[in-house]
Amino acid sequence: MIALLFIPGVPLITAVLLLLFGRRIGKASAWLTVLALASTFFMTIALSDLVFAGNRIGFSWVWLSQASANWTLGLSVDGLSWVMLVVVTSIGTLIALYSIGYMHHDPRFSRFFAYLSLFCASMLGLVMADHFLLLYACWELVGLCSYLLISFWFEKSAAAEAGRKAFLTTRIGDTGMLLGILILFWSSGSLQLGNLAQVRQTLDPHVLTLISALLFFGAIGKSAQVPLHIWLPDAMEGPTPVSALIHAATMVAAGVYLVARTFPLFTPESLNLVLGIGLATHLFAATIALTMTDIKRVLAYSTISQLGLMMTALGLKAMPLALFHLCMHAFCKALLFLGAGSVIHGTHQQELEHLRGLRHFMPLTWITFLIAVLSLSGAPFLSGFWSKDAILLQAQHTMSWVFWSLVLGALLTATYLLRLYLRCFHGSPSSDAKHAHESPAIMTAPLVLLAIFAAGIGLVGSPWMHHLFFRIIGVHEMHEGIEIGMVALSAALVLGGFWLAWQVGFRRRQLLPASLRPIGQWLYQAAFHKYYVDEFYDKAILQPFYAATRAFSRFDQKVVDGAVNAAGSGTWRLGQWKERFDRLIVDRAVNGVATATRNLGLLPRLIQTGIVHPYLLMIVVAIVALAVGVIASQ
Amino acid sequence: MTLRWFLLVSHALFCLGVFGMLTRRNAIAMLLSIELLLNAAGLNFVCFSRIFSNAQAQTIAFFVIALAACEAVVGLAIILSLSRHAKTVFADEAKLLSG
Repeated sequence: MIALLFIPGVPLITAVLLLLFGRRIGKASAWLTVLALASTFFMTIALSDLVFAGNRIGFSWVWLSQASANWTLGLSVDGLSWVMLVVVTSIGTLIALYSIGYMHHDPRFSRFFAYLSLFCASMLGLVMADHFLLLYACWELVGLCSYLLISFWFEKSAAAEAGRKAFLTTRIGDTGMLLGILILFWSSGSLQLGNLAQVRQTLDPHVLTLISALLFFGAIGKSAQVPLHIWLPDAMEGPTPVSALIHAATMVAAGVYLVARTFPLFTPESLNLVLGIGLATHLFAATIALTMTDIKRVLAYSTISQLGLMMTALGLKAMPLALFHLCMHAFCKALLFLGAGSVIHGTHQQELEHLRGLRHFMPLTWITFLIAVLSLSGAPFLSGFWSKDAILLQAQHTMSWVFWSLVLGALLTATYLLRLYLRCFHGSPSSDAKHAHESPAIMTAPLVLLAIFAAGIGLVGSPWMHHLFFRIIGVHEMHEGIEIGMVALSAALVLGGFWLAWQVGFRRRQLLPASLRPIGQWLYQAAFHKYYVDEFYDKAILQPFYAATRAFSRFDQKVVDGAVNAAGSGTWRLGQWKERFDRLIVDRAVNGVATATRNLGLLPRLIQTGIVHPYLLMIVVAIVALAVGVIASQ
Repeated sequence: MTLRWFLLVSHALFCLGVFGMLTRRNAIAMLLSIELLLNAAGLNFVCFSRIFSNAQAQTIAFFVIALAACEAVVGLAIILSLSRHAKTVFADEAKLLSG
């Protein structure tokens, strides 16, 4: 099945083409991207027969042969990856289509689509990887694309900073994940994703717990779970289609996918960790979403909250349910973000105060947004209902306190979503809303398509279609039939949420008795300031870090630089002394020898006249003297 | 008895030669003085040969004559090239070897 290479390959080649020749291709680059992504979608659909038969198809190459292990590189598709492929390619295609309308004024139009293609390529690679190394490489590529797209409007310093924050925060998680992969390799010698169940048999449970906790740490970063969730709301600085694609539908789902893919490695202890973090994130983010006033930020916190719900499902050992909710949430949230993008495009406002009564001016956006809100809130028989209900049911069977927490979470979800909806689309139109216009067809068409998905796609996991979704990913024993109690509970939760949103969120009624108001006010302020997590990180990590760097800088300047400068000037001074010694003593000695030699030479020079007579005279005198001497001695 | 006279003559010749060597500036005249020196030496050889009846000394006298001829040839050649190069035959004007 070497043809699998086409699925990540086509968008990758498109991205390279657009990066190299984007300027020349111009507006056509968008259609190129849409075409590439649509082709991957159809290729994925073409695989359905093989996947439905329960096969794991793929291929791998050995790229490095060692005595201990063969390093392979390959792609494979099974039910789990196929489902993810469908989500990524379908939503990716629709969002690329939508972006044509949303981005058409942007000067870096083709660059945007290049990043979008690259993102889809790496996400597809991540989903199809059959080896931890390839998965990790794609994981980092996804992070890179996220960085590039969040800070796409890098002229705004907020966008540039948000990109940096996202990149660094997810890197913290990635470090944990890399450690997990390394420990896995050291302890088992295999990084194949296909045989994790066998690997589990051979490993010590404590090691397994460590590995799975570290892998989950990577997922915390990518899926914006509680300690590392801070990057996702800031990531809303990116263009709205990016928020829809990356920060709602696909990339943040990578963490959930990672946990689902490596699910055999998770021990009860690490699953409890997953459950705890997931549940905390679910409620924590939901309460913040209640107080946010920026349309995209509400959706961002909603995303975090829903990802927490998926993690909770994983922690409840209900991996298929988590994946199901992932898919349902992806469609709903993509639709919500695209709807929000449409609102922003039409009004150039994203603060809720400036948005009122838009339903008269943007009817298609209104209807599709309403469908997404209801679906994600879990209104019976829409997509979100099926997935959320299944998770609630699972929680009810295992742990009651988790169940009641999830009920509270579902109520909060319905409340903040309906609050957002009511404040955007109902009431008397604001001045900005009056000038709003419906978005062009290229933007509303994806909205309508996604609305159909958001309303109906959940049926594939419902008893009415015999749990087709779960059979695709290899789970056959499912609870048959619909529990009337659950339907009633869901309906009650949506209605309760609606009532709360109507009273408090929309009509600003004060429901609390006067004695409790200070507490309510205090809670509201805490949630409104996102529980001061950013401030806490600033005080607890960044400020000490800055202080340390300043101290080190001072140390550098005073001590290290001082030492270096002292050594330098000492050497210089020593050199001066040596120069003086050279000049005064060595040079003088040398010159003195030369001068003395020359001056000595002056003496014999006197008799070397060159005239022959003095020489002769000397000879004569010498002979006479010799003769006299000889005679005298006799 | 007669030997003293001969020796006196040869001494006189030798002294004349030395005097000429030291006083004449002209190189040719200096060569002539050298001839006097050589001939004084030759005369001495001949005298002592006669007195001691030794033929070897006479042979040396012949060598001295031949030597004188050679010396004249070489000396004149030097003087000739000196006069060509330095345009002079005065020995004190040629001081190329001055230190």
